[in-house]
Amino acid sequence: MAVAVGRVWHRWGVELREPANLVSPRAIPMWTVGALLGSLVLATAQVGWWLLDDSPFRQWHYVVGAVWFVLQAAYVVVMPRWRYRVHRWEATPSAIYTQTGWLSQERRIAPVSRVQTVDMARGPLAQLFGLASVTVTTASAAGPLEIEGLDLQDARALVEALTRAAIAQDGDAT
Amino acid sequence: MSATPEAPSSEELAWRRLDRRMLLVHPLQTLFRALPALLAILFVSIGSDDSDRWELLLLPVVVVFGLLQWVTTRYRISNGQIELQRGLFNKQTTTARLDRVRTVDLTSQVHHRVLGLAKVEISTGSAAKDRLVLDSLDVERARRLRAELLHRVDPAIAAMPAPTGPAREVPTAIPDAAAVDEELLRLDPSWIRLAPFTMTGIASAAAIFGFLSQGVGRFSEEGDVFESGARWVRGLDWWIDVIGLLVVVSLLAIGAYLLSFWGFRLNRNQAGSLHTRRGLLTSREVSIDQSRLRGVSLGEPLGLRWARGGRLKAVSTGLEGERGGGSDWLAPPAPVAIVTALAVEVAGDREAVEGNLTQHGPAARRRRLSRAMWLPIPVLAALSAGVALLGWSGWVLVLVIPVAALAVWLGIDRYRGLGHRVTERHLVSRNGSLDRARVVLDRDGIVGWKVERSFFQRRVGVATLVATTGAGQQHYDLVDLTPARTYELIGEISPELLAQFS
Repeated sequence: MAVAVGRVWHRWGVELREPANLVSPRAIPMWTVGALLGSLVLATAQVGWWLLDDSPFRQWHYVVGAVWFVLQAAYVVVMPRWRYRVHRWEATPSAIYTQTGWLSQERRIAPVSRVQTVDMARGPLAQLFGLASVTVTTASAAGPLEIEGLDLQDARALVEALTRAAIAQDGDAT
Repeated sequence: MSATPEAPSSEELAWRRLDRRMLLVHPLQTLFRALPALLAILFVSIGSDDSDRWELLLLPVVVVFGLLQWVTTRYRISNGQIELQRGLFNKQTTTARLDRVRTVDLTSQVHHRVLGLAKVEISTGSAAKDRLVLDSLDVERARRLRAELLHRVDPAIAAMPAPTGPAREVPTAIPDAAAVDEELLRLDPSWIRLAPFTMTGIASAAAIFGFLSQGVGRFSEEGDVFESGARWVRGLDWWIDVIGLLVVVSLLAIGAYLLSFWGFRLNRNQAGSLHTRRGLLTSREVSIDQSRLRGVSLGEPLGLRWARGGRLKAVSTGLEGERGGGSDWLAPPAPVAIVTALAVEVAGDREAVEGNLTQHGPAARRRRLSRAMWLPIPVLAALSAGVALLGWSGWVLVLVIPVAALAVWLGIDRYRGLGHRVTERHLVSRNGSLDRARVVLDRDGIVGWKVERSFFQRRVGVATLVATTGAGQQHYDLVDLTPARTYELIGEISPELLAQFS
């Protein structure tokens, strides 16, 4: 691990590169199923409208239905793949670094010395695909670092490494 | 109770109770809280023929309930913790570690002040659940408790016989606060002239107006009074109305200023803790531990800026800001020179408080302007709809011009507000126009970084750098920097982080 001291980095043109690791490829189907479940809610609303509407003119049903179907289809196809290309993470003994989002993107960095909790969570969808998400919180209410769609083995290893590194640090990390 | 000195060993380790004088207040408070219910019962029974005033039986119940509150509440400090026990049937014990205590606030409402009492609120984190409330203690005893909590006086050590050799400071005898504290700020009554330039007057006027308009609907007889009043106001010349409104709003602002800031004092003790005291009717005392202070926020909202005023708040962990009743004030609205000097004193970094800021560049300026255009566009749409559908005169469209001019000015001013600077110890960021603030954040207080790029930000090649911290707003944003500049800033403040990921 390289440690630059002083003014070495105080110059133009230094790039913060992307984090090294992609999440598990199984995150794509997980996000797809999640998006499909979301559009199911819209479909239910559409069906309810069809059943409750008494007027004989149905063209508005077709227009609204077609619009949301196209948008949802694009979302379900595009979003998970785009996300997969963006979502990345990297953990070193002294820092953790994530990149998330798709249309709006975000990079978060926290030194391990400021880490307060490391959580691993597995929702129903994540369990279905053998995945887990790891959330790292700091003393700040803004900006916990969350890595979604990690392979279960990777997630366990990451939690263990971070916990071990965090224990080695002193202070109350505020 | 404080008048009778007790042996430290029994006082420090045994359970302590709230002040006995609270016996006068607790039943009354409970009674006041139950008053609406009691009145409702009274009204209902007046209508009936039943002559038994059975509802009066509730009064002793309420009083006994208040007494029980005193009897069942007790607290103690032992084993490095403070414990608070409450409740008769549902016993609740709250425990907090002394080294996690972040702030200790003393609040005295009018009835507390008459009796010489203060409510003590001990906070160990930013969440409301992390608060221990002792309502109430004798003022002097409350101050001693605060000193004990904030300076971690260990009663076990204090109780030990003094060692031979050089005299040592005896920790239980907290030195007379006024004698050793350094006074940093004291309210000058002439600052009250700045009150009309704050938003509080408008806010209180809006609240009163809302309350009255609700009341008019409820009570039709009084409604007549309001209606005739409204007619009278409408009958006056428009400029008299405007002046009248300004006078009312200014008076309200002055009233609010007096209520919250009368007697404002900021002291710093030898340990470096800041200590504020303020309030006309309800007095508040807030202590901010030096080790929790992560910087200052120099507020210069539009109105105050015009009047060459400013205000100062602490950026500290464990303070609740507005939600906590504004316990983070370090200076009330005051002349900007005084506020700036105080900020330099507290932050200890003149360059950070007064130095010129780096502007964020042309892309940031374009984005401020294009976002300001969201103001006139809906106005234009609404007016066009009015012309097209409701048959308004086409001349109303002219109204868009002043709105657009205002929006452009706002966009430019918001850009002028943007700026940042890195000094040896601080990261300085400033933004906003209507509510501009310059935040001087301790570099050690930064617990992480975010680089946010929304879809539109990515299109024009800018990013928002967010410094996350456990203090104050939890995050301070440097809006619309070039990506290269964000990385440069991360590299300057956290070189070890950038080194690993570049």
